[in-house]
Amino acid sequence: MEPTDEQPNVSGAVMKLELLIAMANQIGDFFSPYPPERATEGLRNHLRTYWDPRMRSALLAHIDAGGEGLSELVVEGARLLRDDAAEKDGYYGPPKR
Amino acid sequence: MPNPRKPEKETITICAYCGVGCGFKAETIGNEIVRMTPWKDGKSNHGHSCIKGRFSYDYYRHPDRVKTPMIRASIDDPWQEVSWEEAFAHAASEIKRIQAKYGRASVGGVSSSRCTNEEIFLTMKFVRAVLGNNNIDNCARICHSPTQFGLSATVGAGAASQHFDSILQADVIMVVGANPTEGHPVFGSMMKRRIRQGAKLIVIDPRRTETVDSPHCRADVHLALRPGTNVAILNSLAHVIVRENLHAPEFIKSRCEWQEFEHWAELVGSDEYSPENIGAIAGVDPEDIRRAARIYASGPRSTVYYGLGVTEHSQGSTGVMCLGNLALSCGMYGREGVGVNPLRGQGNVQGGSCLGSWPHVLTGYRFVTDDATRSSFEAEWGVELDPEPGLRLPNMFDAALTGHFKGMYIMGEDPVQSDPNQNHIIAALRKMECVIVHDIFLNETSKYAHVLLPGSSSLEKDGTFTNAERRISRVRKVVEPLAGYQDWEVTVKLMNALGYDVQYAHAGEVLDELARLSPAYSGASFELLDRVGSAQWPVDTKAPEGTEVLHMEQFPRANGLGTFMLTGFVPTRERISEQYPLLLTTGRILSQYNVGTQTRRTANSQWHPEDVLEMSRGDMQVRGLHTGDRVTVASRFGATQLKVVESNRVNPGIVYTTFHHAESKANAVTSDLSDWATNCPEYKVTAVEVAKVKPDEKSRARTDTAHPAHREHEAEALVAVEDA
Amino acid sequence: MWNEVRGLRDGVDYGTPPRDGEPVSLTVDGTEVTVPAGSSVMLATVQAGRSVPKLCATDSLEAFGSCRVCLVEIEGQRGYPASCTTVVAPGMEVRTQSERLTTLRKGVMELYLSDFPESEIPDGWSELHRTLEEIGLEGHRYGEGHNHFRSPVDESNPYFLFDPAKCIVCSRCVRACEEVQGTFALTIQGRGFESKVAAGQDEPFMESECVSCGACVQACPSHALVEKSLFPGGYERA
Repeated sequence: MEPTDEQPNVSGAVMKLELLIAMANQIGDFFSPYPPERATEGLRNHLRTYWDPRMRSALLAHIDAGGEGLSELVVEGARLLRDDAAEKDGYYGPPKR
Repeated sequence: MPNPRKPEKETITICAYCGVGCGFKAETIGNEIVRMTPWKDGKSNHGHSCIKGRFSYDYYRHPDRVKTPMIRASIDDPWQEVSWEEAFAHAASEIKRIQAKYGRASVGGVSSSRCTNEEIFLTMKFVRAVLGNNNIDNCARICHSPTQFGLSATVGAGAASQHFDSILQADVIMVVGANPTEGHPVFGSMMKRRIRQGAKLIVIDPRRTETVDSPHCRADVHLALRPGTNVAILNSLAHVIVRENLHAPEFIKSRCEWQEFEHWAELVGSDEYSPENIGAIAGVDPEDIRRAARIYASGPRSTVYYGLGVTEHSQGSTGVMCLGNLALSCGMYGREGVGVNPLRGQGNVQGGSCLGSWPHVLTGYRFVTDDATRSSFEAEWGVELDPEPGLRLPNMFDAALTGHFKGMYIMGEDPVQSDPNQNHIIAALRKMECVIVHDIFLNETSKYAHVLLPGSSSLEKDGTFTNAERRISRVRKVVEPLAGYQDWEVTVKLMNALGYDVQYAHAGEVLDELARLSPAYSGASFELLDRVGSAQWPVDTKAPEGTEVLHMEQFPRANGLGTFMLTGFVPTRERISEQYPLLLTTGRILSQYNVGTQTRRTANSQWHPEDVLEMSRGDMQVRGLHTGDRVTVASRFGATQLKVVESNRVNPGIVYTTFHHAESKANAVTSDLSDWATNCPEYKVTAVEVAKVKPDEKSRARTDTAHPAHREHEAEALVAVEDA
Repeated sequence: MWNEVRGLRDGVDYGTPPRDGEPVSLTVDGTEVTVPAGSSVMLATVQAGRSVPKLCATDSLEAFGSCRVCLVEIEGQRGYPASCTTVVAPGMEVRTQSERLTTLRKGVMELYLSDFPESEIPDGWSELHRTLEEIGLEGHRYGEGHNHFRSPVDESNPYFLFDPAKCIVCSRCVRACEEVQGTFALTIQGRGFESKVAAGQDEPFMESECVSCGACVQACPSHALVEKSLFPGGYERA
């Protein structure tokens, strides 16, 4: 069995956009007390570690299309997903032991 | 016959129900269980028990037990009984077909917290190694996933820091969003014992629960906060501690990240979180907030026990972080009688968490994105693994509605009854093409299933459970599996049917493999457990017989230090309105267990034959309601009907119910909001209105028996079903 | 501070809760034994491998001293103290067997048996039956007097029943409900011969505050409180 990663028989977003926007904004709300640099990095790491790749690409596609409804922090942080230099261990780090 | 029958044999095993995981002796005559007596050597219960483990075991031989596999092409067809081979072959061919047509990530699975560690591990292996993706989740998603997130962030481990006995050395016990007297009764009794000896009790809970007030055991402070204001109140406690200099600087300097503490102290010390301000928001007397903070901080040994009242909120993870922050700020970690301890609900939900039954981590909470961890699994399993996080359970349903998710293996779970926003889930299941339900009874979810694999109860299998205090204990087979296979054997056969050839002579071999792949379990084996009875993880070379108290020297974070997370209060988007002016919160009752699949099939229903709505007198009077009336409880999401009962346990503006009976459809009403970090549903806050059922309104079909098998009524469309 | 639960062991009943404390040495029937300070003499006798018959004592509950069966002789002390309520002291010399003790124990047991259904004595396997064996008694010398044989059986709880005819009013159930469970649903109502176990406000168990945890059933030494599941055809009084 060698199923393909492309989904020839499915189109459209993996989840309703409103849900993704709501979830992303909630994450942004959590990071807002942090200084901007840590906040965007934290948000980026959270999405990278916990979100299915299709959800991430749907969010980025929405940002490319204007990002309506998303908070500024979310837009900045999500954009970091594209930046390979930010590829490092999650903000919370895997536990050691 | 004047004298009772004397049992012939006793088998030591663990209760099937809550996270206390009481040790029991299953006493048999021949192949019949005649009674369960509590095991004095059980380290979590010391010879005590509750109604469920002690008496409610007869469900295992209830006539509703599914004994034969069944399949059907469409959920509107009747079930067709088939042999095991046919069922496996059909399931396998369907999965292959779906993956070929819709992609590798279009299928997934969810493991059961009522199944053994070995079974959860194999389900996780099935999804990762055989289905080839990370769409594996666990019911801890809907209860304690914020525990894992929040405690990992602050102290590095998402589990109870103490063992249960530790409470006997506590001077102050703070119970937040939990009701141990009802939900963890044997532990609740231990807690009361300590309080009768003089320990102080602080309870943070919207209701005046049995924990707040029971014979010889009354809370010193009860903060009856509005549902949804946990973080505000916990920050306010921190405010008092920081402003009045009640924290423990030496501990923080030596064991924590001091800079993070300063950031945090600045945040919680701000006027925003003063007791006057927060007391008004949460409906609590500011002086009570001050008293609670002072009592907690002065200890000298203060321990926190918390439950779903903390986690099942849109700020669930934040709430857990608040608890970690509080304990660290006052030095309440790393010795007896202190710590932060989640009261895990089910017998093996801690096991599920440890064993990586999550879309984003492998065993030991190690991320799937981490190459080193993934390689160790790939080496052991002989296949390449997906490096990207998968879908969480709620997101699997969301993806089903958009046509991206088509097949699911559901083991020992009933999402239609236990997960929120029921209409949404039913719509999602209807869009799937192969739902495989592996359970001991037909349930609400099986109405939407295409393959039914008979399950085995914990009395019919060998394996291990991990309870809420990280204690790994042996589950021993007492009677032969009624359908012929132990659950783990079924999962193995399903793997085999999909071409993954693996065999295990007995469940101990699965534990051995699990131990090789999970650092905290590395020393665990049937041999060890037979010898010492039980062991709390981490069980490894440093602690060959387990570890009672965590964090005594180091916190398992990268630098060994605990840290403080900035926990700003973000009110939930769920707001009361003119249309929905009351807040509904939910909970558990002693005699029934979760969705009641097991306990409703025992005599326990004599105590709790139906879920009722508790309402305060004033709210009832204004609506012309009397105790015993049937009322409609409606929210933005759906509605259901319940019997209303006047209660002085809830404050005006709050109503309360339990979720044990399928007919009550409590989750038709609950919202689709969830925790920001983990999607743990916000069960505890829903804006509702309550009104008497009009005489001409069609009353929901309700039978009075406790045997809900094969019932055909669907959720009525009082709210339009979501469509993609 | 926690040995009263952590020190419990399956397969052995120390009679009174284990303690945390400094070691104290004493002799029981000539054998030296060391136990933590605060332990009862009864616990010390069990540790020494010498048993003392008992009825109202069990190690999950604090000592009560009501049954008067566990009497011992202590060198230098007058009388026959109950070993469950007597705390060990360094150098104590305890004797668990003597002619006088046997006479006293038999006398007390016969009084219990005079209000216990005679037909239920043979083939029984409860703790009471084992104690009878230990003391070496099969019956009593009294004829039929006032008794509780016709007290109604409470079968309100679906899982266990209470037969007052077999109750010896040792209060283990009451104490279990208080100390182990913490619900305080049971009391002893009345005095002297009229004493009886009452649930709630002298109601059937099912209607009282009882939460059906089974601690009382576990504690009962005479099968007065017993699981219904051990009687396949239903419970019948002899």
